[in-house]
Amino acid sequence: MADLFVNGIILGSIITLGAIGVTLIADILNFFNFAHGDMLSFGAYMAFFFVGVFPSWGNFPFLSFGPSMILAIILAMIITAAFALFFDKILFKPLRHRGASELFLALSSLGVAFIFRSIIRLVWGPQAKYFGGLQMARRYPLGITIKPDEFFIVGTALFLVIVVYLFLTRTKIGKAMRAASDNETLARITGIDTERVVNWTWIIAVSLTAAAGVLYGIQVQLRPIMGWNILIPIFVAVVVAGVGDLWGAMVGAMIIGVSQELLTGLLQDMFNSLNVDVLMTAYKPAIAFVLMIIVLLFRPQGIFGTGE
Amino acid sequence: MLSYFISYLVMASTYSVAALALNLQWGFTGLMNFGIGTFYFVGAYASALLTTTASPDYVGGFGMPFIVGLVGAMAISGILAYVLAYPALKLRGGFFAISMLAISETIRLIVKNERWLTNGVWGIRGIPQPTRALLGANLAEWVYLGLAVAILIIVYRLTEIGVRSPWGRVLNAVREDEKMAEMSGKNSWHIRMQSFVFGSMIMGVAGALYAHYIGFISPSSFTPLMATFIVWLMILLGGTGSNKGVIVGAFVVWGVWIGSEFLIDFLPSGVTSKAGFVRMLLMGILLDVILLIRPQGLFGREKVISKLGGKSEM
Repeated sequence: MADLFVNGIILGSIITLGAIGVTLIADILNFFNFAHGDMLSFGAYMAFFFVGVFPSWGNFPFLSFGPSMILAIILAMIITAAFALFFDKILFKPLRHRGASELFLALSSLGVAFIFRSIIRLVWGPQAKYFGGLQMARRYPLGITIKPDEFFIVGTALFLVIVVYLFLTRTKIGKAMRAASDNETLARITGIDTERVVNWTWIIAVSLTAAAGVLYGIQVQLRPIMGWNILIPIFVAVVVAGVGDLWGAMVGAMIIGVSQELLTGLLQDMFNSLNVDVLMTAYKPAIAFVLMIIVLLFRPQGIFGTGE
Repeated sequence: MLSYFISYLVMASTYSVAALALNLQWGFTGLMNFGIGTFYFVGAYASALLTTTASPDYVGGFGMPFIVGLVGAMAISGILAYVLAYPALKLRGGFFAISMLAISETIRLIVKNERWLTNGVWGIRGIPQPTRALLGANLAEWVYLGLAVAILIIVYRLTEIGVRSPWGRVLNAVREDEKMAEMSGKNSWHIRMQSFVFGSMIMGVAGALYAHYIGFISPSSFTPLMATFIVWLMILLGGTGSNKGVIVGAFVVWGVWIGSEFLIDFLPSGVTSKAGFVRMLLMGILLDVILLIRPQGLFGREKVISKLGGKSEM
């Protein structure tokens, strides 16, 4: 049980990085970015490319990779964010200026999702890729097993969340972003450059999701469909928390991560004892979805939303 | 060559049926259904299980005639849509789209994993094509083409009658201004539910049409690309809100899709294995180009949809 909980935290920290981006874009740019998952995959594959290009500088103690991975993550974040800015320039910005509706923007992001995914498949093929060798999990009390890499995953996610928090609260542009998310018209009246806010929203949102992709790839493997599959839990985390709530998105992501792992375990035990032949692990993504429906039925504005 | 052309017409008609259904939901009611695959799966499997001969591997088949399969596909899709409407239609806009996407992925998981019901990844084979046993494969193709076109015409007529009726005007009203529609005494939830359920039943029919034509279905039959995305492309190209337009859109997009298969023959051999991804890339680009350059599609929405309201205009 404790082991499942820990697994949930690891998954939750990956979902967190995606969810912060989705909630920022939904709040400031006013649409759900359906390309977010495929941008996550793209980030992972970019890092895969760079790790392959760089010389081997040895591995960190305990971990299955070395300094080249850190560099690869940073480059993957920068390049994926640059791609997102490119798509904003040629696609989202013109649509925005035409006054396209929220749903139109969401639809166009679905097109972008397919563009990213087919590029990944064209360049790297449909087969699964691995960053490095398989790593043995270590045993801890309470039956918890953790791979050393997974400490890195949670640590990096936490580090990035702190960086984003500092960015949003301490820098001028970060404060402008929060102002724009609170009240866009007011922000514009007070002289905030909204295009700059938009660009920084993309940079923050997409570089985080690229990092999430790399971390996800380290934990499991890289597949072109990985981002599309984790997109639903990411969306659910955002929706459950209420759009625009950064801390809520984190909590939502942890709730989704932990409940996916714990509930699949618990329900599997229950079905086993009832002699019902169901493979619950196959339904992990469905759990996030059922959770979202339950929350939305009782609190349509999300758990933390104020329903303004 | 001729058989290729018949196959194109059958598939394009099948997609047209789905496009009309999506047009009813999105074009007229504003429901952003990103989970068309849900109803393809349900319709295709319902019809397949009803019509195939008994198998020890899964529930059924029941060996029923084609028409029972078709009606069953409609009924089960409709019931599922009705049940889903309760939680999902409480959600608006993007939230609804997300929930539809999540439902379709959940349905895919069920189809993949519940072997007793669907035979899992092995899929269902030997789904009968009407009159094939009687007339032979060649003639049966023609019969099936006739059937598909007939169903397309029926669905087209029904949706045209529907959207031009007072009910259709309420759909428009709910899409354009829900509060206003409510103030005029229309129960907007009810209206959206009806549109969602009707549309989903038609999508179920499209799934069944596909299953009986190909003769085999499996969890990979309806990927998000081939099930949901391509239908969106069809209605956007043809013109959201125009029933004629979305049929043209379906025939054009399916033509481009099939036509690009011919181009693969001209590509160097190293690239051919990746040609499917090139097509996928082109579809993604095409969607965004349409949204940018011609958001109203080829035909665009008719501003006036009732004869009583004056001349119809583009």
